[in-house]
Parts: sequence; structure tokens; C-alpha cells
Amino acid sequence: MKVVLENLTKIFPSRNKKSDEQVVAVNNFNFEIPDGKLIGLLGPSGCGKSTTLYMISGLQAPSGGKILFGDEDVTDLSPEHRGVGLVFQNYALYPHMTVKQNILFPLENLKGEDAMSKAERLERAYQAAKLVQIDELMERKPSELSGGQQQRVAIARALVKMPRVLLLDEPLSNLDARLRLQTREEIRRIQRETKITTVFVTHDQEEAMSISDMIVVMKLGVVQQIGAPQDVYDNPVNLFVAKFLGTPPINVFEGKVVGEKLHIGAQAVLDVPGVADQEVFVGIRPEGFILDSNGPLTLNLNSVEVMGRDVSVVSWHTDALVPAIRSIIDADNKIDRDSETINFKLKPHKVFLFNKETEERIVVER
Amino acid sequence: MVNSKHKWKAWLYLSPAIILLLIFTVWPIINTVQLAFMENYDIMQALGGKKFTLGFGNFVSVLQYDGFLQMLGTTVLLCVITVPVSTMLALLIAVCLNSIKFLNRFLQTIFFLPYVTNSIAIGMVFAAMFNIIGNVPGLDSSLVSWGIFNDLLGVFGIKPINWINMGSGYWENIFVMVVYIVWNALPFKILILLGALQSVNKQYYDAAKVDGTSRARTFWRITVPLLSPMITYVVITGFIGGFKEYSSIVGIFGDTMGPPGNPGQLQTMVGFIYDSIKKNQGKASAAAIILFAIILVVTLINLKVSKKNTHY
Amino acid sequence: MEKIVTMQEKDMQKVTSTQRVVKVLVQIAVYGFLGIMALVTLFPFYWMIISSLKSLEEYRLPNPTFIPKQWMFTNYIKAFNTANLGSLFVNTMFVGIISTVLSLVITVLAAFAFARLEFKGKNLLFAGLLATMMIPGEMFTITNYQTVVQFGWLNKFVVLVVPFLVSVFYIYLLRQNFLQIPNELYLAAKVDGTSDLKYLWKVMIPLALPTLISITILKMMGSWNSYMWPRLVANDAAHSMITNGLRNAFTTTTGDVDIPVQMAAVALVSAPLFLVFIFFRKYIMKGVSRSGIKG
Repeated sequence: MKVVLENLTKIFPSRNKKSDEQVVAVNNFNFEIPDGKLIGLLGPSGCGKSTTLYMISGLQAPSGGKILFGDEDVTDLSPEHRGVGLVFQNYALYPHMTVKQNILFPLENLKGEDAMSKAERLERAYQAAKLVQIDELMERKPSELSGGQQQRVAIARALVKMPRVLLLDEPLSNLDARLRLQTREEIRRIQRETKITTVFVTHDQEEAMSISDMIVVMKLGVVQQIGAPQDVYDNPVNLFVAKFLGTPPINVFEGKVVGEKLHIGAQAVLDVPGVADQEVFVGIRPEGFILDSNGPLTLNLNSVEVMGRDVSVVSWHTDALVPAIRSIIDADNKIDRDSETINFKLKPHKVFLFNKETEERIVVER
Repeated sequence: MVNSKHKWKAWLYLSPAIILLLIFTVWPIINTVQLAFMENYDIMQALGGKKFTLGFGNFVSVLQYDGFLQMLGTTVLLCVITVPVSTMLALLIAVCLNSIKFLNRFLQTIFFLPYVTNSIAIGMVFAAMFNIIGNVPGLDSSLVSWGIFNDLLGVFGIKPINWINMGSGYWENIFVMVVYIVWNALPFKILILLGALQSVNKQYYDAAKVDGTSRARTFWRITVPLLSPMITYVVITGFIGGFKEYSSIVGIFGDTMGPPGNPGQLQTMVGFIYDSIKKNQGKASAAAIILFAIILVVTLINLKVSKKNTHY
Repeated sequence: MEKIVTMQEKDMQKVTSTQRVVKVLVQIAVYGFLGIMALVTLFPFYWMIISSLKSLEEYRLPNPTFIPKQWMFTNYIKAFNTANLGSLFVNTMFVGIISTVLSLVITVLAAFAFARLEFKGKNLLFAGLLATMMIPGEMFTITNYQTVVQFGWLNKFVVLVVPFLVSVFYIYLLRQNFLQIPNELYLAAKVDGTSDLKYLWKVMIPLALPTLISITILKMMGSWNSYMWPRLVANDAAHSMITNGLRNAFTTTTGDVDIPVQMAAVALVSAPLFLVFIFFRKYIMKGVSRSGIKG
């Protein structure tokens, strides 16, 4: 089932009654989610990603725009008629019901021609439980389960009615680091097996990048960029997206383009053909540095952190907008740790220029 | 959160509560204030459509009523004695209970027991404990029971006292009421204060212990200030309850509100209001408003005092 | 040097041993005090039961007996008949059960609306309800008496049930409990197509059951102990409530009255309360600790 969002907008009235200020939570969101894909909605808190999810589920009505499931306009449909499964951040399992009763609950609400016999319902519940591998725990109460198990129950409850769209709100945020890795693989597997179009919300870029077919980066209710995770990472459209994706984060400098050459401080560090003379922000990915004693960029060396496969060089520069510049280089490189400075050559495709006013990407001809 | 398309549903769910509250809570507030200011109000004439002139007549007649000062005095007296006594006792018991492990639950249950009683019924038990059988003329003097309380005093060499029987004095009556009211008021106060004590962070006490603070100092400088909001609550509800004292007196003395031969010796504000409801609703309303005003003032004073003494 | 160290150690030992003595003494004082207070608390109950089993002659003895010489169980039969406790019991249970059931329905619906539904003026209305809790009940009674007279409800069961069906305090208590249930449960149920009433019945009521039990017991106890309102509006024998019946059967409490029979009647009236307390102690104490309102 493809999901189409057309000019989707949500405006909340101001909390403060005296001011007429309104909060635009989602502004003119257009996106066609292809059938059977896993989509990550990504952004810092307050960017409107959860609101978007709730609008797709039908729990919140949009202030403007349309939502289509396939060719059917579901904008005015109430949640129960949309056929969506929703997994909440805190799972929202009914604490007084067993796992089995929790999973059966949505099926018991089906009426009319959708109504099922008790045997059918049980079979469906066990199918869903098996899919998320909790069929051994059916008689337990939620309080007797670990966080990861509760998460699986919540997913089973969402899947049991065979929804057209599966929605997950920060599915991993309540799990510890190890479970998180495991569970995100699990979500990926379940999504592949069921082929249900799935949208999940997260503020953790690593999480979104690792399992999504596509990611949507949002900021203050406005979609910044949509694309496959690697494409977005390699070609950020603006400084916000560049900064939001990647660990360690991108290093940002103030720079200047003079005569198609990029300058940081007094040094000309890179050729930038086709770019007019102007002041710019320069983003350099940590993996964009090549250790070279004759390299054009000189940084003040702070420390060297050995991480096994790689070495992380921490340095500083007066024109850097980050307090510590991190460069990741191969561990085979020999670094003189006592030196005050360190010189780098730059990989051109890991260096991005941004307009100083608009923070939009400046395209370099190659 | 949810865009409820059926806002009328909320009002449907609320309607039984709201209708009943309008009839039996909101209307009475308006009407009672009206009644209090109507001169010579009479319900039969009112039903016949008669309009009454407004004035302070009801208030004047309440204030000029012979027994008014005495019943106000009794009400205030009972409050002023029982509230501090029961609060201090309850605080002591709660602190002691909080410091023990063995028998803790058992003792808690015992101390709560007086709460689940019928105050009229247990009032009759207290009456029996203070009652003297044998002051009836012609009764065989070998068959005199002075009452268990007098028997207890006898152990200490105190002569029997006429607490509640015919001819008993005002102060003797008050003493009996104080004993009964304190006994009755303890469970609630212990429960509230113990609950508050248990929610106090144990680290304060550990810190005090490390600093070598004495028990008494810990009690006055840590326990009492930390409990002060709950102590205030208990004192205020105690005063409100005290100003409405009525059924405990009925329990011991009966509807006459006094010992035989001297009915009304222990009349209280609420007793007066109830006695007036059938006869003169205007006067009853005026008395109720005076009572409300007194309770309001006392509560405000309590809040003010406790604000000064609340240390955080 | 060595000497000083041992001196200090000795001091330390002394301190810890005196501390231990102080600790034991404090423990003894604490248990002593609690023990005496517990005896004082229990004594009236003991005296009630002991007296109810004595003969009048034995009760009148100048030297009180602490265990009856002769166990007079017939006092209970006499008390039961004198006060007509059978019909009082039936009346009171009838009024208590009807008003508790109706009150629960009204309270649950109202608390649900306040806790989970959105409508205009919700907060204002709720604040208004809470404000009425500050006004002493006597202010309502006067007008309510007039109202029920006009409705022609005097000496009918309806007068004992309807005027006190709604308790703002219970609505408040239950609303607070409902609010503790995460909103996500409601949203999850919405997504699954659960109706409001089904959600209320299947999720909220089971989760708020302890509070509902507290309310039930407090309301039943309220009916059992009600005295003033019934005395005002339902005086005839057919509608008399148990407390009024007890008081009217034994108008005199002083002088040469048949105290053993009185005590038997009091014990019979108190017994159901104690039974309820034994079985529902937890709920009563929890309910009361959040209130202060008796009944």
C-alpha cells in the first residue's frame, strides 16, 4: 500500500490564549511513500515528525492537505477505519491484560463482516506472536516482560489485524544500547517478511540510516530532504541536514571562495571550479581528511585517540565553528603526537560548501 | 490530544452528575443565602407565592438568642482543646510507629480501628463507661456501679465524679466529650501523618545521624518542618470537623444535647441549625452562614500561621 | 603514642556501649507508649463486648468484673428485638446498595469525561466543582430539606438515595486515578476501533478497580453511619435507617438503664463495619488517606 501525503499541514493554536501566535507543526508536507518500504522520519524534537505520524494514523486531523492510502482518500477517516497499526514509544500495553489478551484486543473490536470466530482470532494472535518470537510468553503480564519483549508484544498487537500501514513512534528509544541494535535488525526483518509499508519516527540518525529504505529529514515542520540514506549523507541539500547526519558529526568552518579556490584562514585548501567569489560555510566529513605533511590545511593538534581500526585526530582552528575538529584516518598512518600542528589534504567529495545567508548547498562543478 | 468529533458525548456523560449537583448543591448555595436575608420567612407562605422583605432580622435573632454565646463557646472550646491534643498525640504515635518494624502493621491496624465505627453507637459505649448506676432513689446501694472510668480513678484514690448523669456539670460534660472526640479523631490523623512520614526521604535522617544530631533536635528541626504541610492539613480539617461537632454529642447524650434535666447544656452550632430547619429556615440559614464565616476565618488564620512556620 | 590510641579505642567502646543502652531504652519507651495507646484505643471495644454479655445485676456490681461470670447471649436476642434491628438492617442495606451502585455509575462517567475527553470549559467546570467541596454540608441541608418537601419525597426511600448521589470528592479521586493511566492506552484503543464506553469498561475500570472499591466501601459506610439527614426526612419506622433506629430505641444513655442490652445492640450495629474492615482494610485506609471525609 503506497501512502501519499499531499500538502499536509498541521497548525496548533497557541497555548497562550492572549497571543494569536500559532505553532505550525507540519508545513506543506508532500511525499509519496512507495509500497512495501520502510521509511524513517528523522529530526530533532519538535520538528513535527510525531505529528506527521499521528496524522497518518488518524489520531490527529490535519489542518490542511490530504492523506491517501493507495488511491483512497483517508483524510477524514477515523483511525479505526484506516487499517493502521501503531506502536507507541512507551508501548501502551494494557497492564492488566496478559500478552495474549493484549494481542487479541484489536481483533475483538472488529464488527460486521470483519468479525472473526474465537478460533480464528487465536490463530491470528499466535501467528503474530510467532512472527515477533514471543509465542512462549503469551500468558505473562506486561510487567513480567523485559523492555525488548514488551516492544515485540506491542508490534505483534499492531500487526495482528494485518494493517495496511504500520507506524512506529520512536520504537527504540526506551531500550538500552545493546537491545537497540538487536531490535532494529528485528524490525527490519519483520518489515521484510510482512512487506507492510512502514513509517517510523526517530531522532537518532544512526538508527534511521541503518534500517530505512528512505529517510525524511525534518526541521521545524518543514521537510528538508528525502532520499535513500546514503544519498542524503553524500549529498546534503543544506547545512542542517549535513550537520544532522553522521557520527562523529561533520566539521564546520568559516571560509571564503576567491578565484575558484576555497580558503580557510589564509590557506587555499581546495579547488572549487564554477563557484563565484563569496564567503561560505565549509563542511568537511571526518573521513574527508588525508594525512599529508605537505597538505594545504594546517590544524592545531590537540590529541590523538586510537580506536583500533581507525585513529581519531582531535584538533582546533580559529575559523572552525565546532570546538573540536575530528578527523578519522586509517590507523596505519604515523602521526607525530608531539607536533603542535598537523597537515591534511582534503577529499573533494567529502567537502561541502554552503551559502552563508541561506545555508543552502553551493554546487561545485566537477 | 484526540480530535473528538463528538463533544456532546462528554456532556452526556457529565449530565447525571451536573443535573444532581445543580439541584442539590448549586441551588442550595444560592437559596440558603437568600433565605438568610428574608424577614419572617415561612415555607408555606412562600409556596403560596408570598414575597418577603430583605433584612438582617434572621442574623439578629440568631445573635440575640439566649443560648447563642454558650453554644458558640462550647463549639470553640471543643475545637481548641481537641485539635491540638489529638494532633500532638497522633504525631507522637505516627513517629513512634514509623520507627519500629516489629508489630508495625498490627499496631497500625489497631490505631485505625476507631475510624470504622458508627459515632452514635460508640458514643453509647463511652456513655456507659462514664455512667453511674445507682443515683436513682430507692435503688439498693449494694448495687451501685460508678462506671469503669470512675473505678479506674479510684485506683489512684480519686473519688467518683458525676460525669454525665442528672445534675452533672458543664466542665465534666466537656471532659467526656474531649476524651471521646480525641479518641475518634486520632485514626485519621495518624494515618495521614504516618503516610507523610513514610514519604520523607530517608537521606535527611541519615545526614542528621552523620552530623550527630540528637533525637529531639531531629524531631523538631527535620521531622516537623518536613511534615508541616500535612500537619497544617490535619489541623485545618480538625478545626472544620470540630466546628461541626454534633453527632458525637448525640451519641453520648442523645438528641437532648445535654444530661438529663439540663437539655441543651452542650448545644452546638450544627445542633442549633438542625433544630431550626423544620421550624424556621431563615434562622437556620443565617446560622449556617455565620458558621461558614467562622470556619472560613479560622481556616485562613491557620493557613497564614502555617505559612509563617513552613520552612521550605 | 600507643597509649593515646588505646585510650581512644576505650572511649569509642564506651560510646558505642552507651549508645546501645540508649537505643534499647528508646525502643522500650516507644513500644511502651504504643502499647498503652493501643490499649486505650481498644478498651471501648473490649468494654462494649464484655458488658453486652453480662447480666444487668452483674453489670451493676460495685466492683466491675472483666470477664462475665455468666455469658448472657440472650442480651443479643433482646437487643435485636427491642431495636427491631432486622428491618433496620434491611432498610439500610437497601438504601446503601442502591445509592452505591448509582453513585458509582455517575462518578465513573463524570470522571471519565473530566480525565479523557476534551470539551470547552472543562477546567473551569472542574474548578467550580472542587470549590463546592469547601462549603459545609449544613448549608445544603436547609434548602435540600425544602426541595424534598416540595418534591413530596418525605418518608420515601428516594429521599435517602438521590440528594447525596454525587460526591465531588469521589469524582476528583477517580479522575486523578484515570489521569495516571497513560494517554497512549486510549490512543492505542482508538486506533484499534474501540468505542469510548468499551475502553472505559475494558481498560479504565479494571485499572482503577482499587479506587472504585475504596469508593464503594466508603459510600456503604456512609449509608450505614448516616444519622442527621434521615432523622430530618425519614422518621417513620418503615424507612428508618439503622443508626436512627438504634438511637430511637435507646433514648436514654444515663442512669439506671439496661446497659448490657444497649451494648449488645451497639455491638450488632458495629459488627458489619468491623467485618468490612477486616476484609477491605487496605482499600479503606488507602481511600481515607487521600481524603479525610468520613462516609
